[in-house]
Amino acid sequence: MSRETVMSYINVFAVLKNMEELVRVDSVSEQLIKSRNIAIQFTVHKGPKAVLAFRNGEVMLTRGGGKADIKLYFFSPEHFNRMMDGKANPVPYKGLTKISFLTGTFMKLAERLEYYLRPDEEKLKDRDYFRANTEMTAYAAFFALSEIGNHDEKALHSSHAIPDGTILVKVVNGPAVTVIKEKGSLRTVKGEPDSPRCILSFSSLESAHLVLNGKLDTYTALATGRMAMRGFIPMIENMNPILDQVAEYLQ
Amino acid sequence: MIEAKEDTKLNTYKKSQELFQRAVKVIPTGIPGHLGPVQSQFIPTSDFPFYAEKAEGSYFWDLDGNKFIDYMCAYGPNVLGYNNPVVDEAAFAQFKKGNCMALPGKVQVEFAELLVDTIDGADWAMFMKNGGDATSFAVMAARAATGRKKLVRIKGGYHGVAPWTQVDGHAGVVKEDVSNNLFMEWNDAEAFERLIREFPGQIAGLIATPYDHRIFTDNALPKPGYWQKIRQLCTDNGIVLIIDDVRCGFRLDMGGSAKYFGFEPDLACYCKALANGYNISSVVGKESLRDAASKVFYTGSYWSSAVPMAAGIACINELKRIDGPRLMIEKGEKLTEGLKKAAEANGIDLVISGVPSMFYMRIANDNSLMMHQEFCAECAKRGVFFVSHHNHFINCSLSDEDIAKTLEVAEEAFRIVKKNNPDKCN
Repeated sequence: MSRETVMSYINVFAVLKNMEELVRVDSVSEQLIKSRNIAIQFTVHKGPKAVLAFRNGEVMLTRGGGKADIKLYFFSPEHFNRMMDGKANPVPYKGLTKISFLTGTFMKLAERLEYYLRPDEEKLKDRDYFRANTEMTAYAAFFALSEIGNHDEKALHSSHAIPDGTILVKVVNGPAVTVIKEKGSLRTVKGEPDSPRCILSFSSLESAHLVLNGKLDTYTALATGRMAMRGFIPMIENMNPILDQVAEYLQ
Repeated sequence: MIEAKEDTKLNTYKKSQELFQRAVKVIPTGIPGHLGPVQSQFIPTSDFPFYAEKAEGSYFWDLDGNKFIDYMCAYGPNVLGYNNPVVDEAAFAQFKKGNCMALPGKVQVEFAELLVDTIDGADWAMFMKNGGDATSFAVMAARAATGRKKLVRIKGGYHGVAPWTQVDGHAGVVKEDVSNNLFMEWNDAEAFERLIREFPGQIAGLIATPYDHRIFTDNALPKPGYWQKIRQLCTDNGIVLIIDDVRCGFRLDMGGSAKYFGFEPDLACYCKALANGYNISSVVGKESLRDAASKVFYTGSYWSSAVPMAAGIACINELKRIDGPRLMIEKGEKLTEGLKKAAEANGIDLVISGVPSMFYMRIANDNSLMMHQEFCAECAKRGVFFVSHHNHFINCSLSDEDIAKTLEVAEEAFRIVKKNNPDKCN
C-alpha cells in the first residue's frame, strides 16, 4: 500500500477521529457544534471510508459508510490528503444544501484541532492547553499506530509479530488507550481494559508530552524511568518499530 | 502494597541509580545491550541493581553493597565460579608474558588442540571474541564452501546481533540484510524438507541452537530423531549444518551439545563457557570445511590475544576434571525441583523447561508474565538474581547452602505474589 494511502487512513482514523476529543476539551469547539445534528461521509477511492457524526454536542467517527447528510467523494488518497492540507476540495454528491457546514463550522473545527496539535512554548505554559495537547497527541499517535500497523508494508512485519492480546498505554493517573491485536490486525480504543497483557506507562503527563512531541526518545525515557513496561514484553517490542513510524508519518 | 517479613532487609539501590543518572548523559540508554534496563529484563527497574562492584564464586555485589546469588552468571560466561583461582592463575601467568602482541602466542595452538581433542567431530578450531563473531563466521564459511546464498534459521532463534540475525523493520536493519534468511519452526524436520524442495541447490546452511532456548518461550528439547533427520537432510543436499552452541556449550556435555543429543554438526560455535569470563569465542569444524574456513577473511584487533586463550585452556581442563556439565545439571535439578515445590505450596504453577543447567522458568497462572515479573523482583530485593524472560544459568561453584538460601527467598517471594494475586492462584 502506498504511503499516500496509509496517510489517508491516518488522516481519517487518527486525525479526524481526534474531533471526538476536541469537542470534549475545547469550549470553543463545544459551542460550535452545540446545536448541530449532522453527519458527513468521507469516501476515498481505493482508500478509507468513514462517517463523522455531530450529534447532541458530541462527535463520533465510525468506520465504513452509513446514514449521512453530506457525502463527500475523493478520487484518490492523494486527493483526500490534499484536502486535509487545505489544498484541494472534495466532491460533494449528497447534501449540497448543507455544504455551508463544511465551509463554516467544519473548517473552524479543523482550525481548533490544528491549534491543539501544533503547540508552541507559549501555549504550553497554560496547564489546560498542555493537558489537552498531550492527550490529543497521544490519541493521534496511537490511533495512527494501528492504521500504520495494518496498512504500511514495512510495519506489517512488526504488527504480524505482535502476539494476540491487549497493550495498555497509559499515563499514570491520566489518560489511557488500548491497542488490541486480534485476528491479524491492530485496533486502538480509548480507555483501559480489565486485564491487559502488557502495559506501557508514562510516569506523568510531562513524560508523555516529551516523548510524544519528539523531545525525548523512548529509550532514554525507559532508561530514566519516565516510561516503564511490564507484562508480555514481545508485544511492546514489536509495537515499538511501528511507533517510530508514527513520528515519520505525523511530522 | 507488598509486605516483607519483619526480619527481611530489602535491597535498595541508591548508588546504582545515581551512577546510572550519570551514565545516561554520556552513554546512549545508560547501559546499552542486554545488561541494560531498557531491555526489559528488570521489571520494575527500581527493584534491581544496575552496576556490580565485585564478584566471587556464585555471587556478585552491587555498588550499594547488596550481595546476590547470581543465576544469570554474566549471561553464561561464569561457568566455574567468578574469579576461579585455576583460571585466573593461568590468565595472570600469560598476562605477565604478553597478551595482545604482534604475533599470536603459543597458547593459540594449544587451545585449538584442546578443543579438537574435547569436542566431538572437531578437526580444527578458530578463535574470535563474541558469540556473534562465531555465528557470522560460520555462516560465511558455509557460503564459501557451498557457493550458495540461502540460510535456514529457526523462527525466533537468536544468533547474535549482526544485521543478518535481526528483523527487517528494526532499527538499522534493511531488507537486503535479511533477504537470504529462510525460516522454519523448531522441531519440524518436514518444514526443512519443504524448504529444500522449494529452494533446490540454493541453501548454504542451517543454523540452530542445540535445543530451543529462546526468550519468552518455554524451552523445548529436540524430539526423538529430529536432529538425526536434519543431519541426514543436510548431508544428502550438501547443506552445512551449523550448531550455535554459544549459550549451551559445556553446560550439557564437554563433547559439545550436539554429542548430548546424538549427532555431529559440520560447524559449531562456542563462546560463553569457553573461558570463565575471559573474552573469547570459537568455531570448530569438520575437515571438509577447513578450506572454506581458511578462505574467509574475518579477524579483529584482539582476536589473537593470548590471555583469554590461556584462561580457556585452564577453564576447559578444569570443567573436564570436575565433570562440570554433570555437576551443573545436578545442581540445576535440585534447585528447580525446590522452586517447583515452593511455588506449588503457594498455589502457583511454575513451569520449568530446558536443560536444568540452564533452565527457563515462568509462572503460568497468567499469560502476561506479570506475576512472574513480580516474583523475580521480590527475589532481587532479597538477594537472589533471577531475570524475568531469559533462561538462567547454573555455575559449578553453586553450593547446597546457596540453593537452600535461594529456596528460602523464593518461598517468601511466592507468598507475596500469591497475596497480591489471590484470584489467580490455585
